[in-house]
Amino acid sequence: MAIKRYTKMAYAKPDDMVFGIAKSPVSYGFGIKVGAGRVIPEINYAPRPGREATPEKLTKEYVDYISKDAIERAVTEGFPDLQLETEWVFQMGNNSEKFGRPVVEGQKAICEEMHEKYGINLAVRHTIPDMREAERGMRPGMDKERSYPEKVLESAEIACEAGADVLSCETVGGKEVLDYAVMTGDIKAALFGIGVLGSMDMEWIWQEFVKIAKKHKTVPGGDTNCSGANVAMFMAGGFLDNDVPKTFSAVTRTFAAVRTLCAWEAGAVGPDKDCGYEGPILKAIAGKPTSQEGKNCECAHADLQGNLMAQVCDLWSNESIEYHPEFGGSSVACWLGSLGYEVSLMNTALLLGQEKTLRDLYMYSDRFRGPEGFILAYDNAYKIGEAIVAEDNVYLRAKAAGLTAAKLIDEAYSNGTLQLTISQKDMLKNILKVLSSLPDDENKFIEDCVKQYSAEIPAFNPKNYEL
Amino acid sequence: MLDTKGANFDSVLKRYDILVDNVSTPEEIAKKMLPTDPIYKKIAEDVVYMKYKDIAADVAEALEKGKDPHEIINEALVSGMEIVSDLYAQHVYYLPEIMLAAKTMEIGIGVAEKRIPGGRSSKGTIIMHAVEGDPHDIGKNIAAVMMRSAGYTVVDMGRDVPVDEVVAKTEEIKPFMVSGTALMTTTMPAIPRIASRLKEKGIEIPVIGAGGAVNRDYVESFDLGVYSEKAPQTPLLAQKAIEGYDWRKLREEWDQIVKGA
Repeated sequence: MAIKRYTKMAYAKPDDMVFGIAKSPVSYGFGIKVGAGRVIPEINYAPRPGREATPEKLTKEYVDYISKDAIERAVTEGFPDLQLETEWVFQMGNNSEKFGRPVVEGQKAICEEMHEKYGINLAVRHTIPDMREAERGMRPGMDKERSYPEKVLESAEIACEAGADVLSCETVGGKEVLDYAVMTGDIKAALFGIGVLGSMDMEWIWQEFVKIAKKHKTVPGGDTNCSGANVAMFMAGGFLDNDVPKTFSAVTRTFAAVRTLCAWEAGAVGPDKDCGYEGPILKAIAGKPTSQEGKNCECAHADLQGNLMAQVCDLWSNESIEYHPEFGGSSVACWLGSLGYEVSLMNTALLLGQEKTLRDLYMYSDRFRGPEGFILAYDNAYKIGEAIVAEDNVYLRAKAAGLTAAKLIDEAYSNGTLQLTISQKDMLKNILKVLSSLPDDENKFIEDCVKQYSAEIPAFNPKNYEL
Repeated sequence: MLDTKGANFDSVLKRYDILVDNVSTPEEIAKKMLPTDPIYKKIAEDVVYMKYKDIAADVAEALEKGKDPHEIINEALVSGMEIVSDLYAQHVYYLPEIMLAAKTMEIGIGVAEKRIPGGRSSKGTIIMHAVEGDPHDIGKNIAAVMMRSAGYTVVDMGRDVPVDEVVAKTEEIKPFMVSGTALMTTTMPAIPRIASRLKEKGIEIPVIGAGGAVNRDYVESFDLGVYSEKAPQTPLLAQKAIEGYDWRKLREEWDQIVKGA
């Protein structure tokens, strides 16, 4: 399927967006309907260390312990829907036939069994691992030693063939440049790494994933820029951290929106991945359902927008939890309980016509906690979306998105509503200067970046992006 | 959208980062710590203010004026980097400044050590890598820069490195320490596998375990394992290892060693 760019917003105005309702809902699995009127909890998990030793141990961990515990807790507490998300571990991607297939088949079977037994709506998202390494080669035929690009596509094929309800991936295109950008505070490199290289890679790989998913009647969900914008966000950290200024990570997030959107432009239909905090921007543009995470993912991520991220979500996730015992049961059962009750609150608001009030309460509680939450508040996310759809290539989209976000932060700082530290202000000033001085010509920008970053980043190989 | 006019969000949120923001400039802090010798001061300032385009010429000029290359490294370049570390600890500098300052220092060291017969002596050699199956290496890369800045030779094996290769390299070059980072629970078992293989071979050096998936309990559950929570802790642990601490003593005094980093 060819790339079809979004050129207008799915919603007429920001206020039209709420949680649990998307313009283009998606149905799959055993009764799951995402974005069709209610929010669905999405539980994600990781096996205990050592369970990856054999396919049998790993399958047992995922099916008989993790899936069973989560579904039983959902039934015990009366949640009508549950989506499981299995983020494949390295061993599953490296040998998908042996390690991946039995897990997919086992989870499908237990979902069917529990759906028939209790009537609970269930589905499993399989997120295959992107093991590709820039220095070894990102396209088929380039990585002669480990064949990682081929293995990623093979994982998609096996996941879909074995019964995955939704196919997702956390692709790594552009990561080698983004890592450099984060370490050196180079916003131009971040734009190039995420907005341009990441988008180019996404366009290629998601056209492949969509073909595979459609062949097996699996829903091609979407991606996330976990490998880029989340690296920046987590290194920016909380109020006691000083690795990366938060204005840098906030603007980086808008480049990620351009990149993650490419999956949907290549034919994926949603939901995107929970850790793609750029989701509100994407939903505003495309109207497809978005999975998000915030306060109920503190087991994995600490961020500064724990409530805000729920504002327009369609699935609500815990990001990931290692399977282990807690006082209240296994970790997956406990964190599902936490997710499920939050989702119940959202669905009660929808039922009683209070969804816009709850949405705004979520949003305002974090609107001024940091620059990243501020630009992701749904009204600002909408403005960034408008800047993206007004441009027709990924470079100009990323540049426009970044500049819009930087100007929004600057304006809020100037009018006293959003506070910034000295380093955040300095970085913002630098970002405005750098982004404003970039050329309008995409080819010129790419040519300049290829020359500069080929010399500065050993892992960057333009051939990975057909440059 | 809800009307929030007049609402004071102080009861909702306290911006501790604003409250503790350090208003001192780098110049104010560095002024008290820079070397007094004007030649060394200029070089140290190049490092502190990340003048990587000037540093080579300034070091060359110092050599021409008869300064000892060892002293240029220790009294000017390393002193400058120590000021940078202090600025980072005081939340005046961030990671990008550390990286650029380290790059500047390394350029300066490169010029100075050409005048040292046999090259600059290293404090010791460490092998660093991200473990088998794990592509996440930004933390390892940051720690590697900090180790080089602190005067160690780093053999960086990259990411997704098989256990066998790490063990073979350790046998070959005999480092005083090995470090492995992992961001996933299913890749971190590579770290105890490396430690176990080294122990079998009688190589009882500290094996640093680091990365998002790893915690102190896990790393201390196997022999040789020593935890590093953040990149700046690795040079502190390395310094003690060089001073003769074995992995047991590093564990015993861990809190004291990494305090504040």
